Amino acid sequence: MAAPGGAEGPAAGPALWAEVRALLPDAEEGLTLALSGEVEDCVLPLLRRARGLLYGAAGRPGRPEADAMRRLGDVLCDYSWEKLNVGPWREVSKAWRQVYSYGCLFGALAEVAAGRPLASAVRLCDMGLLMGACVLDNVLARLVGVLQAHLPCGKRRAAAEGSAKRVRIDPPPVPAVQPEEALPHLHCPSLEHFRDNYLIPQKPVVLEGIIDHWPCMKKWSVDYFCQVAGCRTVPVELGTRYTDEEWSQKLMTVSDFINQYIANENSVGYLAQHQLFDQIPELKEDISIPDYCCLGEGEEDDITINAWFGPEGTISPLHQDPQQNFLAQVFGRKYIRLYSPEDSENLYPHESQILHNTSQVDVEDPDLVKFPNFRKAVFQSCILMPGQVLFIPVKYWHYVRSLDISFSVSFWWS
Amino acid sequence: MAAPRRAWLVFGFSPEEAAGEPGPGPGPRRLESGPEGIRRVWPAWSYVVVETGAGLEVRSAGLRRGLPGWAEALPSETHLVLRGAAAARAWPRAAALRGALRDGPSWSRDLPPGPRRPPPLPLLPGGFATPRPPFFAALPGGVRARGLALGYEHVLVLGAAGETYAWGGGRHGQLGHGTLESELQPRLVEALAGVPMQAVAAGGWHSASVSEAGDLYVWGWNESGQLALPSKALAEERAQDEDAGHAELTPRREQPAAEDAAFISIQAFPALLDLPQDLEVSKVSCGSRHTAVVTRGGELYTWGWGKYGQLGHEDNASSDQPCRVEYLAAEGLRAEEVVCGPWTTYVCVLEPQSPPPATAAYTEEDTGPTLPGEMGQAAPQDRIPPGLATVNAGAAAGLVPDPAPAAATQVLKPPREEPNTLITAAFP
Repeated sequence: MAAPGGAEGPAAGPALWAEVRALLPDAEEGLTLALSGEVEDCVLPLLRRARGLLYGAAGRPGRPEADAMRRLGDVLCDYSWEKLNVGPWREVSKAWRQVYSYGCLFGALAEVAAGRPLASAVRLCDMGLLMGACVLDNVLARLVGVLQAHLPCGKRRAAAEGSAKRVRIDPPPVPAVQPEEALPHLHCPSLEHFRDNYLIPQKPVVLEGIIDHWPCMKKWSVDYFCQVAGCRTVPVELGTRYTDEEWSQKLMTVSDFINQYIANENSVGYLAQHQLFDQIPELKEDISIPDYCCLGEGEEDDITINAWFGPEGTISPLHQDPQQNFLAQVFGRKYIRLYSPEDSENLYPHESQILHNTSQVDVEDPDLVKFPNFRKAVFQSCILMPGQVLFIPVKYWHYVRSLDISFSVSFWWS
Repeated sequence: MAAPRRAWLVFGFSPEEAAGEPGPGPGPRRLESGPEGIRRVWPAWSYVVVETGAGLEVRSAGLRRGLPGWAEALPSETHLVLRGAAAARAWPRAAALRGALRDGPSWSRDLPPGPRRPPPLPLLPGGFATPRPPFFAALPGGVRARGLALGYEHVLVLGAAGETYAWGGGRHGQLGHGTLESELQPRLVEALAGVPMQAVAAGGWHSASVSEAGDLYVWGWNESGQLALPSKALAEERAQDEDAGHAELTPRREQPAAEDAAFISIQAFPALLDLPQDLEVSKVSCGSRHTAVVTRGGELYTWGWGKYGQLGHEDNASSDQPCRVEYLAAEGLRAEEVVCGPWTTYVCVLEPQSPPPATAAYTEEDTGPTLPGEMGQAAPQDRIPPGLATVNAGAAAGLVPDPAPAAATQVLKPPREEPNTLITAAFP
């Protein structure tokens, strides 16, 4: 729940409606409701009816129209949500995701038209940005931008500062990195040097001095995220490791996440593997794509940029990814261990299909009776410091534990 | 003429609302019927097919069309499959709603002469129908089915000896094999071996079965409480309502505090459900995210997703506990049969002025005029409700095994996996 009086934000006035309305085509016919594929017949009348309610009134839709539009938005979201949950995500059609986005759009517009607190409209936009697909020139991102300007985004709760100083169970000590296992460090290598000595032979390396100029290095802090994105809804992983039974995922606002899991570490929450920069493009201006990515074959648009924001003690169990990775550390430190794909047989990947990319071994406390060959596996490690970028070759096994409140940005490229 | 003794009531989402029109509210609404009453119903999301004394009729917002010559229906939002004495056919939804069955069907299959009372759709000789392409799938010869239910991704079969088979998509535990893997072929649900079932029902991503003794088993996804097992999402909603001072809205459903309960998101093995007062179940049906049962005492219990009023509790709340539908009790109505549409619950009730017949499900005066050549097969009182009729083609089309979550959790996205795989979960 939002903090009383603050995060719910002020209700919308006529000026806001005019600003919101300006994001949409002038005439009803301009809002084509075009979808990039086929959906069931029953959806189109709902979309058209919602559009009719939006354009029916000369000015801002009245309360009954807004309520009817909100309900249609709900029906569209609930119906397409069922389609989004049928089959694997990669096979869900873009058209159904667009229907979901339209549902969120009509719902959010109805909330604004009805003059309700803006937090709910922002949340609807975020749901559409998270699960839907782009419609009307990314109208949801544009709409949320307008709404956010009218919404005083989260301040950290004063109380949270004090209660953060709770008595902690001693965190595991910062691991000592032995010289023979330490990853090589390089300062601003040339593209050719990196390619010939690391990319082609697929060897991990820590790069230094290549992100010092990124604005995020100076700008980003816990408070900054509260300020620019406090009211935005993001997916958060709850539980220490995603392999744990009780691990789960939840949607919450950035300020709730910070208040509950960064300022107060009663349990572990991790804003992990989230394409935050697609959702909040302003943040993308504070980072760049490392030049070394041009050595890959993919287009720049194919690079997946993920945010990893969490408290001390988040753990990504030993796993491998299907792409090359630059892991850039913005603030906080992370302990990282790497194992070559050649060691896979000594790492005991899970047998189930979804976890086949993840080792069963807890690398910092291995059960050598159950996993005897793990002792044969050779690793390299580092403590990744702010400003450093770790190159993780494709399929290279990696284990990551945060040693502080930490923000990392990963770039998956091919 | 005396009022019909049987009536069908509907709770939940209306065809009018599905057409974008103002709806009549969540109900209960009484299904209009002629003097002969309505015998069976096959609800889709935006329309319903009913069997009246004059044969089948399709009803959508403001439209009613007879479907003369057909005996059984299997509707979806893309197609309507109809079965007659000699053939099964599928038409696109739009043609079916207009009653334009003279147009060429999308699919047709001749049926060999069979028993007077064939097992109900989706079963067909040699296999089963799906209301989407490819419309028919063969059943392996070893599986003798007397009932079949289609979920969005999975298929359940009730075997001749009361055994249960499940296959298709399994990411939400809906197969009951104890894993989250998919199965390409019918596989016996071993956990239920030795417990002969009388009925099976499939929801969107959950499953239910009733044993001959009247016990109810449930498995699959509990995202809205559709298994009547503690749901984290619902507990959090309740906590929020209480925060917001709406505690008075939820007094009926007493629940342990959120932090005390062991929440279940996915139940990958069948779980025996304890109903209040050890009630015995006679019928079960599942909507996309809710469940309804009729007890041997003629009461209706519902649980799961309630946003559109489909639980019949005269509100929009979801419930992860079985709740008796008080409206029926208050009106003195005895529930006989229940059939869920995706977001609706259709219940057949006996009106108080005539006590229920001791045994026969249909009495003479119910039967009404007979369609030439059709009624012989038409009105069996099947022991197996049609279940959820809306189907994903994947259910029949050979299912690709699919990554599933690590633990019994609903998943937003596969952890540390490929890019662009943010997966949806239960966020109302």
